[in-house]
Amino acid sequence: MTVTLPRQRVKARLSDAVSGLLYLSPSIALFGIFLVYPLLRTIYLSFFRTDTQGTPLEFVGLGHYASLFMSATFWQSVQATVGFVALTVPLTILVALGLALLANEKLRGIGIFRTAFSATMGMSVAASSVIWMFMYNPSIGIFNRFLEAIGASGVQWLLDPQYALLSVSLATVWMNIGFTFLILLGGLQNIDRALYESADIAGTGYWTQLRAITIPMLSPTLFFVGIISLINAFQTFGQIDLLTKGGPMNSTNVIVYAIYKDAFINYNVGGASAQAVLLFVTVLLLTWLQFKLVERKVHYQ
Amino acid sequence: MKKKWGLFAGLASSVLLLGACGSEEAAPEAAATEDGKTEVVFWHAMSGDLETALNNQVDDFNKSQDDYEVTPIFQGTYEEALTKFNAVAGSADAPAIMQTFEVGTKYMIDTNKITPVQTFIDKENFDTSVWEENILSYYQVDGKQYSMPFNSSTPVLIYNKDAFKEAGLDPEKAPRTYDELKEAAKALTGDGQTGFTILNYGWFFEQLVAAQGGLYVDNDNGRSGAPTKAVFDGEEGQNAFNLIKDMYDEKTFLNVGQNWDDMRAAFQSGNVAMYLDSSAGVRTVVDNAPFDVGVSYLPVPNEADREGVVIGGASLWMGDGIADETKQGAWEFMKYVASKEAQAKWHVETGYFAINPDAYNEPIVEEVWAEYPQLKVTVDQLSETKTSPATQGALISSFPQSRQSVVNAMESLYQGVSVEDALKRAADETTSTLGQ
Amino acid sequence: MTMRNALVYTLLVLSAAVMLFPIGYAFSISLMDGGEVLKGNLIPEEPSLANYVAAFDRIPLLTYLVNSLVVALLVMVGQVVLSSLAAFAFVFIDFKGKALIFMLFLATMMVPWEATMVPNFLTVQSLGWLNSVWGLSVPFFALAFGTFLLRQQFKTIPHEMYEASQIAGISRFRFFWNVVLPVSKTPLVTLSVYSFLTTWNMYLWPLLVTNTEQARTVQIGIKQMQSNEIASDWGVVMAAVVMIIIPTLLLLFAGQKQLQEGLTQGAIK
Repeated sequence: MTVTLPRQRVKARLSDAVSGLLYLSPSIALFGIFLVYPLLRTIYLSFFRTDTQGTPLEFVGLGHYASLFMSATFWQSVQATVGFVALTVPLTILVALGLALLANEKLRGIGIFRTAFSATMGMSVAASSVIWMFMYNPSIGIFNRFLEAIGASGVQWLLDPQYALLSVSLATVWMNIGFTFLILLGGLQNIDRALYESADIAGTGYWTQLRAITIPMLSPTLFFVGIISLINAFQTFGQIDLLTKGGPMNSTNVIVYAIYKDAFINYNVGGASAQAVLLFVTVLLLTWLQFKLVERKVHYQ
Repeated sequence: MKKKWGLFAGLASSVLLLGACGSEEAAPEAAATEDGKTEVVFWHAMSGDLETALNNQVDDFNKSQDDYEVTPIFQGTYEEALTKFNAVAGSADAPAIMQTFEVGTKYMIDTNKITPVQTFIDKENFDTSVWEENILSYYQVDGKQYSMPFNSSTPVLIYNKDAFKEAGLDPEKAPRTYDELKEAAKALTGDGQTGFTILNYGWFFEQLVAAQGGLYVDNDNGRSGAPTKAVFDGEEGQNAFNLIKDMYDEKTFLNVGQNWDDMRAAFQSGNVAMYLDSSAGVRTVVDNAPFDVGVSYLPVPNEADREGVVIGGASLWMGDGIADETKQGAWEFMKYVASKEAQAKWHVETGYFAINPDAYNEPIVEEVWAEYPQLKVTVDQLSETKTSPATQGALISSFPQSRQSVVNAMESLYQGVSVEDALKRAADETTSTLGQ
Repeated sequence: MTMRNALVYTLLVLSAAVMLFPIGYAFSISLMDGGEVLKGNLIPEEPSLANYVAAFDRIPLLTYLVNSLVVALLVMVGQVVLSSLAAFAFVFIDFKGKALIFMLFLATMMVPWEATMVPNFLTVQSLGWLNSVWGLSVPFFALAFGTFLLRQQFKTIPHEMYEASQIAGISRFRFFWNVVLPVSKTPLVTLSVYSFLTTWNMYLWPLLVTNTEQARTVQIGIKQMQSNEIASDWGVVMAAVVMIIIPTLLLLFAGQKQLQEGLTQGAIK
């Protein structure tokens, strides 16, 4: 660090702040208009009883929050959300990591496999859900026909409360693998080849290299993927709407879907806003925790 | 940069003004098309083949006169369209005609941003007696016609005639009572085939209750006063639920979930021999099934008590805060689609009912009926319906929510919950939303 | 071929088969007629392109495709520019409250979409952006995800390089343009692909802010072909699905090549 005179330092700091904000200003402006303002409005509405059009009628304080905490349906939603996140996030990352390691091998024709593994990223949720709905169909779907072929009895994939969340999660993992794979592959490719070369010379095996070089060097990417997957999992909506509509018996009624139903079908805008605020705060808290606890272990080069 | 700050200032002030949600009502002007016609924007939720049929209707209307040009725009599902309507109602972006599903009736009235079609009926002294009473009555509130019925359907029993023959049943004699249904289902179950199914969808339950003359909510289904209590857990509702439960326990009932196409796939692939469907779906099912398809009335516990069916589907609403000329155009279009010629075409292309019964005498209808006799069954079932509060249908604004509760109740039946408990929970949940 | 390579190839082929199966299934259905779909066949008995003709016939698919392309490209450029500017500030410029602002950026990702839908519609309406590409694209230009992705990458660039460039009197923006962006080709391509595809796949927002068929995008088309009350023509729906994913798959393939070129250039260490 060079020694500078205090006044110059202040000046430099000031100019740093100004130019920092300059680089950030386009993003800040758009976030302000299209995300912060709606969020503030939602927080505001969560304290009001509204008519079906969403106009606030009467201040109810924490009334909506209180009735949520006493509602069995809300706790079912919480349970479904936690289950969904716990099922999809680790599985997606593990499978995508496995595929990325495979696709990172230097082999002829590897580009085709890379495209194949990232293909689901090009599929819209609507299109993917239509296909999975077909595959889960108890009458004509491929899964049950396979089970029947091997002599097992068919499963009501989306209709049995025991299986529905699992089935939706499985479809979700498939949909998310493409994107997670692409990011992880990018991370793997950024790792310095020289590290492996010297490890090869030292005669270390594949698994040792994986543990000692690949995973630590990949940790910023893994950290990133972990946070993004978690946030996305909490926000999952499309496949729930298309595959189960939150059923059977609310077993897949994750919070975002419950908010949707309350806001746009039941016209309970106040209650929906309160749930949205709770979801926002929860995800924010979890992400903050990840940063506090995990990022210090992340190895930046 | 200046622009940005202006936006920010606007933003800050709108945060301050949150809730003060009032739109200024300047004298609205009618939008005109290039050739000087008045443009009438029509928002709808018709997709697939239905959209094609609807566009045909609009084209016919536009060609039939020179003053107005109707522009149909698909706005997603009924719920999505309603969300958007709510956001723009009263502004220049609002449509002149809005199609909304039957359970949104109360919601539309509550917006105060619509013009009841009664206004035009009175103004022109229009004779509404040519229209089918059973269909009109759903959209009448306090003696006022609020909207124009457009696509109306009812539930019917659809069955596999070939499977009936194989099971030794008379394919021309469909079960009409619950007992007959159970017997037939027993005979039809076996070898990968299940007797009967109902989609987990509130509409079918409402119909099974109404067919017995049962009410959904008190105060004559909310027609003689604001409803205070859900009553569908009474005897009629229990009959319907017991039917499902008994048959499910006897393994003659297949749970097909909430998806219409899954249900039809089960029928067409021979996994289920009888099911309930919308009358609008009859024709495509007949076309696609690789076997003979029969159509019959909705079953009831006891033939003598048959009341009929509630009309389902959607109606056309006229916006408010739009130019008088545009409103007139909207009304002309509504009259046009209700005419017997237009209705005849609509009925044969979609399977929806004609709101003008004269349409059934049109040659094109007779031709199609000769080919698809199943369509006539749906019409007979409706015209035999007795108009009563039960078959007029319930009028509650929280209908979508209540339907979810009923779906939950149906699903819980398959998990072994008792009929009484399942129904009571759904009824209690509905009651708690009525006061809101 | 070594044993190891054979094993890797086997695993690759198996995984690819599993991953691609649903897409192949969709393609197969798109060649069947209505009755056959419901029989539950896996391979069409008499493959026909009739469904593709019908899909083009039913909705103005070409207009939709062009609109989607324009909007997706616009959002892609907007997101890459804004995200890289913001990420650069977060990594290379020191100022007070940086960590807090970054956290606030991340927080924007957690706002449930239901909360933003209606207010944003009203904002776009008051800006007069209904039925325009601006209403479809500008609200998405700022992207916390993209900022985060690029921040992770920029952090791997040695800070000494930045300090050296400062001492040499090279302006910040030139350092950003001539050093940071070129070495970050891989994540920039990844982000571009991501931006393009997510925009391409949007449904609800385009439905809300457009009122004419001339302004609509492809995902609305898919919904327009399905219906509840009468049976959907699954063959036609799948034909539309296939046509809509072909451009995205092509893009992924092209992006893949870019990614590999980014690799051969080598990341500086």
